Amino acid sequence: MNDKKHFNLDYFLEDPSFVNWAKGLNKNDCQYWKTWIQNNTQHIETIENAKAILLGIKFKKQFPKAEKVNEELSKILPKINATSLKKNNKKSLPIRKVIYFSTAAIVLFLVSWSSIAFLNDYNTTAHKTNYGEIIDLKLPDGTSVVLNGNSEISYKKNNPRLLYLEGEAYFKVKPIPSTKTKFWVLTNDLKVEVLGTQFHVNTRKKRTKVVLDEGSIHLEFKNGDVTKMNPGELVSFSTESEKVIHKKVTGETPFALWRGGTYTFNEISLKEVMSNLEYTYGIQVRYESEPLKDLLISGGIPNQNLKICIAAIEKATDTRIIHNGNILRIQKNPIN
Amino acid sequence: MELNSDETLWYFLKKGETSAFTILFKKYYPQLHAYGIKMSNAPEITEDCLQNFFIQLFEEREKYGKIKNLKAYLFVSFKRRLIKQLQKKQENIPISETQLIKTNFTFSAEELSVHQEIQFLCTKTLNQLLNQLSPRQKEVVYLKYYSGMNTADISEVLDMNYQSVLNVLQKAMNKLRLASENEQIKSILKKS
Repeated sequence: MNDKKHFNLDYFLEDPSFVNWAKGLNKNDCQYWKTWIQNNTQHIETIENAKAILLGIKFKKQFPKAEKVNEELSKILPKINATSLKKNNKKSLPIRKVIYFSTAAIVLFLVSWSSIAFLNDYNTTAHKTNYGEIIDLKLPDGTSVVLNGNSEISYKKNNPRLLYLEGEAYFKVKPIPSTKTKFWVLTNDLKVEVLGTQFHVNTRKKRTKVVLDEGSIHLEFKNGDVTKMNPGELVSFSTESEKVIHKKVTGETPFALWRGGTYTFNEISLKEVMSNLEYTYGIQVRYESEPLKDLLISGGIPNQNLKICIAAIEKATDTRIIHNGNILRIQKNPIN
Repeated sequence: MELNSDETLWYFLKKGETSAFTILFKKYYPQLHAYGIKMSNAPEITEDCLQNFFIQLFEEREKYGKIKNLKAYLFVSFKRRLIKQLQKKQENIPISETQLIKTNFTFSAEELSVHQEIQFLCTKTLNQLLNQLSPRQKEVVYLKYYSGMNTADISEVLDMNYQSVLNVLQKAMNKLRLASENEQIKSILKKS
């Protein structure tokens, strides 16, 4: 075989078990490579060099201190703020206007198209988002809704405070104290009854999940059970399995954070992160190996552009994600 | 797991987000600062140059296309800028980039950790050996072990192909390794 070509420097540097041997980390690997070297003495030179490269040189790195960096930053920030303002006033205003008008036209077109389609049948208004699209809506009663990608809400014209949701949305319900008119959200699994509050509903994965941010709400499950929710709580219910989860969510809820245009994760497994994307963008995710599913991600990922989203996840987990049609394949990063 | 990934930061910086600029600045200023001083041996020029570099990066953000590897890009364009600046200072005697690096790029024993994985070399000897390396070898060793870059990053910063970077690295480390083996043999001979 073409031994020489195969067992080059790169071959050893890329092998995790070899790295363990060089650094004396894993007993099994050490034993394996000891035997291997005894049987392949012709490669000893390359192996010793690879080992030296891996062990490397330890520097006492002398970087400027944080105070120094902040000081330098504070010198620069006023300058760049000034230039970004100047630019906005002079140049980009006309361009912005055009973009604004054209998006307005597109949104109008979409809304009117979907409205007409439903008007004909049931006198119903519906709003539907495409994959990866997030829209802010103001309902006739003043309630605001942020609808995530691949989701739909609909309501009858004569009762805009009873609406049906499929997908994922965040609600900020406008209270009407004079008449105490309630607000309802219906899903396949349950009914949310509200006076005035902020909450998040997700019907994906064959169950409905509700997270309450403010105020208080009542839930009525399809099986007739009723429960009351307090702020900071999460309730999940599935008609199929009749399984109820009712618990407190700690910290900022990861569930509703997509509404700012960013998915924010706090030590969430790659598998869970990807399943969010599967629903939002209508894609399927395949894993090269099982351990990849358990990689943890923390931080924010912009969610309105799948490409950037993928790039961010690749960087955060040190993986390679291949995007082909509707399928994402996740692999270990071959370079490193 | 590192978040605030470069792709995300760059995406928002291009949109004019000063907060993304701030994070990027804090992330890369220290490394670029150390790299600049290593090249120039002149803290004042380096800091001036680095300031202007970051301002320009933000001001001209719309001109940039897609940047595949932001870290490598920052290193290489800052290096170019600094070298130009240093060449300007030397008006009467024109000086080449290699010449500049050859004279300026030196390691000191204080920069080296006492505990080295490559054994039998004291920091003094190791430092001497490092300074005997060729300018290219010094740069590769610096970017790899001081700036923490991988081979692909280094090949972009130094505009070399992947395999050449590995070859340079191999030659440099080979010198150190042989020296270390010599020391080891010497110490064994002394004992017997």
